[in-house]
Amino acid sequence: MIDEPGPWGTGPFTLVQGASSILTRNAVMSADPYTCAWLIESEDRSPDLVLEANLDHWNREARGPRVQRAVFRNDLDPAEALDRCLSTDGEVDIVTEVSPADAARVQASEHAGLITADANRVLACIINRDGPLAALDLRRALNMSVDRKRIVDDGLAGYASIVPAMTPPWCSGFPAGAQPYPHDPAQAKSLWDGEGWPPGSPLKIATTAPFAGVAQLVASDLRRSLDLAVEIITVPDEQVLAASRALIEKKLPQPWDLLVHAWFDLSSEAPPAAVHREFFGTDGAFRAGPPDAGFDALYDEMKVQLDGDRLVEVAERIDAYCYDQALALFLCAPQALYAVNNHVSFGPYKTTFEIAEVTVDEGHWSRQPRAAGAAASSVKPGFSGATGNAC
Amino acid sequence: MTAAAPPAPVGTINVVDPSPLNWLFITWNTMEEPIRIDEDGRAVFALAESADWPDDKTLELRLRKGVRFQDGEPFTAHNIKLNFDEMQRWAAPHPPGTWLNFPEESVAEVVDDHTIRFRFPGPDGLAVGKMRGFHIASTAFWKGPDAPGFGYKKFGSGEGHW
Repeated sequence: MIDEPGPWGTGPFTLVQGASSILTRNAVMSADPYTCAWLIESEDRSPDLVLEANLDHWNREARGPRVQRAVFRNDLDPAEALDRCLSTDGEVDIVTEVSPADAARVQASEHAGLITADANRVLACIINRDGPLAALDLRRALNMSVDRKRIVDDGLAGYASIVPAMTPPWCSGFPAGAQPYPHDPAQAKSLWDGEGWPPGSPLKIATTAPFAGVAQLVASDLRRSLDLAVEIITVPDEQVLAASRALIEKKLPQPWDLLVHAWFDLSSEAPPAAVHREFFGTDGAFRAGPPDAGFDALYDEMKVQLDGDRLVEVAERIDAYCYDQALALFLCAPQALYAVNNHVSFGPYKTTFEIAEVTVDEGHWSRQPRAAGAAASSVKPGFSGATGNAC
Repeated sequence: MTAAAPPAPVGTINVVDPSPLNWLFITWNTMEEPIRIDEDGRAVFALAESADWPDDKTLELRLRKGVRFQDGEPFTAHNIKLNFDEMQRWAAPHPPGTWLNFPEESVAEVVDDHTIRFRFPGPDGLAVGKMRGFHIASTAFWKGPDAPGFGYKKFGSGEGHW
C-alpha cells in the first residue's frame, strides 16, 4: 500500500494528496512452512485523497485517464455519501458498495443511477467439519435444504447469481453444465436422518451483522426442511477480529456449525487459487475442519500447470470436487452495486475499482464555470475510515 | 497519417469508496504490475508485453518500452528486479497472505533493459497471475530521500504492507 503521495508509479493517475492504508495483524497458520494471512485491524485514510491524471501514461488512447482529477472523499460516511449522491450534483459522483437494500432508492434518484456488475464474489456458509458435519450426507442434506432463489430474492433483493459451488459461471474453471444442488427438502430430510445428527442438538449458524438477514433465511430453510433446532450467533462488531483470527489460526474449536462468509477473487482466471484454496485448502484461511487430501491433491496438480488450458481443466475438476463433497453450503455470487451521478459514465470491473475509463459529460458539475470553487468547498475533514477485513 | 492524440482529461469526480480494499484500489489506479486485470476479470499484459516459459522453472517477461514513471524515470527491467528483490526480503509481504509469495529461492535476473527472467525452484502455474500483486514502484520510492517504500517509512517494515 502507498502511505504517502508522490509520483511513485506508472499508472494512469498520480497520487498527489493523501493516502489510504491499512493497519494489519498477522494470523499464523503454520510456522514451517511459514503460512499466514493478515487481518485488517483498522484503516488509515486521509480525509481527502486526490488522484491527478497522468498525461504521460503509455495507454492513454485505449484506457485513459479521461478525467483530470478524482477526489476520494473519506470525510463522508457511506450513508451520508449515498444521500448526497442521490440528492445533489457536485457532492458525490460515485458511491461503491451500495447495499441491495438501497438499490431501489438509487433507482428512484433524479441525480444518479444504479450500476450493477456480476462481481467475482462468493457468499457461502463455511461448514465446520470438525464436528458431526464431517459426514458427507449431512453436508449434502444442508445443500438440498436451502432455497437459493429465495435467499437471493429476499436476502439480497435479487442482486446476486446462484452458483452451484464456488466458481461463478463467467469465470474460467466453471464446470460445463454444472447446476446447483436442488432444493429438495424430502431428500434432504432423508439424508439427514440417515446419517444421524446428534439428537436434540441445535445447529449453530454464526454471522456478522451485514449477513444476519441471510443467516435468518438459511436458518428458516433448515428448520423447515430438516425439522431441526437452529440457533443464530451474530458476532458483535468488536469481536469480529478475534473471531477471524481464531478461524485462520485454527487453534481453538469453532463455536459454530456454519459461518456465513463472503469472499472475493481478484481475477476470473483461476478461482481455486484465491477462493477454493482459502475455504478448503491446507493453507486456507477459512478452512474449518481437517485438511482434505482429495482437495489438496487436485490443487497441487493445478498450481504446477504452465499450460493455461490444462490449468483451467484442473480448476473445473476442483470446483466439481467441492460440489460433490459439499464442502460448503453454497449460496450465490453477490453483485457489486454502485450509485453513479447521471453525468458520469462509469463501467464497473468484476474484480476491482478502476477509474481510468470514467468520463464526465458537458453537463457535469465540474465542467461548469464555477466548478473549481465547488470542488474546493466539498472537501471536509473528519472521517476516520470504514473498517473491514479483506483478509 | 498519424493517430489522433488521445482526448485531454476533463472534469473532476468525487468518489466515496467504503470498500476495505480501497488501499489496494488506490495502488492499482496509480501503480502498475507486469499484468493487470481487465473489466471481465481477465489477465492482460500491462508493464509486460509477453510471458514465456523457456523451461518449467524459468519465466521470461518481455517488458513494454517507452513507459515512464510519473517522476520521469524510464521503466526498465532493473525496476522489476529492484521491486522483486525488495518484496522477497519479507516472509509475508502481501496482506492476503503467504499464498501470493514466490518461493524464497526465486531469483530475478535482468537479461537486458526490457527482458527479465525469473528462476523458480519448481513450476509455478500461478506465477503470472500472482504478478497482479507485484506492484512496480520507481527507484525514488525505494531509494530516494525520505523514500516511503511499502510500509518501510510508516511501519518500519514491509511485512503485510505490499
